[in-house]
Amino acid sequence: MIGTQLALIKREFWEHRSIYVTPAAIGVIVTLGVLAMLMLTSGFAKELDMVIFGAQNLAGDAERRAALTVFFAGTSWVFLVALMFLTVFYSLDSLYAERKDKSILFWRSLPVTDAETVISKLLTAAVVLPSITALGIWATHLVNLIVFSIWVSVQGGDAGVLIWGSVAILDNWLAALIVLVASGVWMSPFIAWFLFVSTWAKRMPFLMAFMPPIVLGLLEWIVFRTKYFLTVVGERGDMTPLFHGVSLERFFEEEQWRDGVENIGLLAHMDLIGFVTDPGFWSGLLVCGILTTAAIYVRRYRDES
Amino acid sequence: MSSLVNARGVSKHFGAVRAVDNVSFQIEQGKILGLIGPNGAGKTTLLKALLGLTDCDGELSVLGLDPFKQRKELMRNICFIADVAVLPRWIRVTQLLDFVEAVHPNFSRSRAEGFLTQTKVRSDAKVRELSKGMVTQLHLSIIMAIDAKLLVLDEPTLGLDILFRKEFYGNLLNDYFDAERTILITTHQVEEIENLLTDIMFINDGKILLDSPMDALADSYTELMTSGENAARARGLRPIAESELFGKSIFLFEGVSREHLDGLGEMRTPAVADLFVAKVKEARR
Repeated sequence: MIGTQLALIKREFWEHRSIYVTPAAIGVIVTLGVLAMLMLTSGFAKELDMVIFGAQNLAGDAERRAALTVFFAGTSWVFLVALMFLTVFYSLDSLYAERKDKSILFWRSLPVTDAETVISKLLTAAVVLPSITALGIWATHLVNLIVFSIWVSVQGGDAGVLIWGSVAILDNWLAALIVLVASGVWMSPFIAWFLFVSTWAKRMPFLMAFMPPIVLGLLEWIVFRTKYFLTVVGERGDMTPLFHGVSLERFFEEEQWRDGVENIGLLAHMDLIGFVTDPGFWSGLLVCGILTTAAIYVRRYRDES
Repeated sequence: MSSLVNARGVSKHFGAVRAVDNVSFQIEQGKILGLIGPNGAGKTTLLKALLGLTDCDGELSVLGLDPFKQRKELMRNICFIADVAVLPRWIRVTQLLDFVEAVHPNFSRSRAEGFLTQTKVRSDAKVRELSKGMVTQLHLSIIMAIDAKLLVLDEPTLGLDILFRKEFYGNLLNDYFDAERTILITTHQVEEIENLLTDIMFINDGKILLDSPMDALADSYTELMTSGENAARARGLRPIAESELFGKSIFLFEGVSREHLDGLGEMRTPAVADLFVAKVKEARR
């Protein structure tokens, strides 16, 4: 059972190389961006230079720590956005491609149930993709810290203190992993919807995935003059309960993580208990379960010839 | 001998269309059964029901299992090639072997690799880089390395040239088939496989027209080539089919003993294709 599941997930890596190519590409882009930033600002005064990568002239350790955390959160945000697109395209393709190239008949000739197959795609989208992205974030962060250290050393600063002594690696990395995996779980009803469309749509799965919710929302507005459906769908995108009721976007925009010197870091702002006890968490899992079951049902019962 | 497949009153409807219409048959272990029928006859639907890919009405058991409800268990002991183009194009040969090895308890990787060394299929190649014939060789190498009780081949050689087709069936007989195994084949190229079949089944419009061991065909069916007065006498013996070739009449008889036909002309056992055409025409009358 577990062996089959592992083999199925491994297969997803072979088929969808974007699972690891995307985070790797983002990592390279972010690193190049950091290098460009260092090059461009090095033309300014030495103090400013140090503000950016060494934070030497900041008031104290807490601010320096905060500055490095801003940088980490900012680069992680790029990965999170890329992950969102990757998840949508992956989920919509995962059960559609095998029907398009007719390989579904080969896969179904092996002793693997439709449930096992669909669940492997769900796990890949909701857990594996975020985890790989977390690895990408960690690796990129590490590379960038090394780049910073070299830069600071060249400028005559003490990288050991200014960079490595100030960065909250454990806090940052754990926070990134939690945010990513939590967002995978939180978004799982959307993922399951995409999987369902992927196994059900005869053509144009992308359109089939996005049209019905939009049409449904419009119909609701035309008939009842309410926007309940689109509000529910839209609000879910904010992952509200993980940040003490602050939306993910506002969390970054308003720099909530900077609210107190003793409270610097990302983990302190997360409310895991609040997240898993939120009714939205459980209703999301329920919707995910229903849509996944529907996807399994369609793959099993639909005649593909 | 035990029956691997037991079908009683099996039907499958698509709306008003009866793709498979109340068929009953058995397939015994150690047989090579050819399932012959024109396009749209219900062959593929019947195979899908046997493989648990579609549900159906009636009683159907394969290896003692309900194919639709117990598909996973069934697939441990059944293999099938549904069409030549069915392997995913993005996969590498080694990945394919890795995957089948991981999910199939009855798969022998070394056996598959042994078969592949006899072909030009490179282990690091992707399926999309292989020719159609090589893809079939790859698929067959995997299938033959699975210790299965029943092998189902649905038009396995479609689109392949004659060399690959001959080699395909040669490999199947020499390297795979034994008394423990059972093979079910459908194909349009009946003449290429009729010599290797032990049993034959005709299907048309969802109904079985003929279900017989190959060696019993000679007892039941006779083709007579004759002309002139003998032709008129032969016609009186109620042939199931009549055709003309180079000014001669060819009659096909069912259940008429050869002693009866003796002296009327040249007799032989009809080719499967001719018999099939005759049976289909007879059914349509």
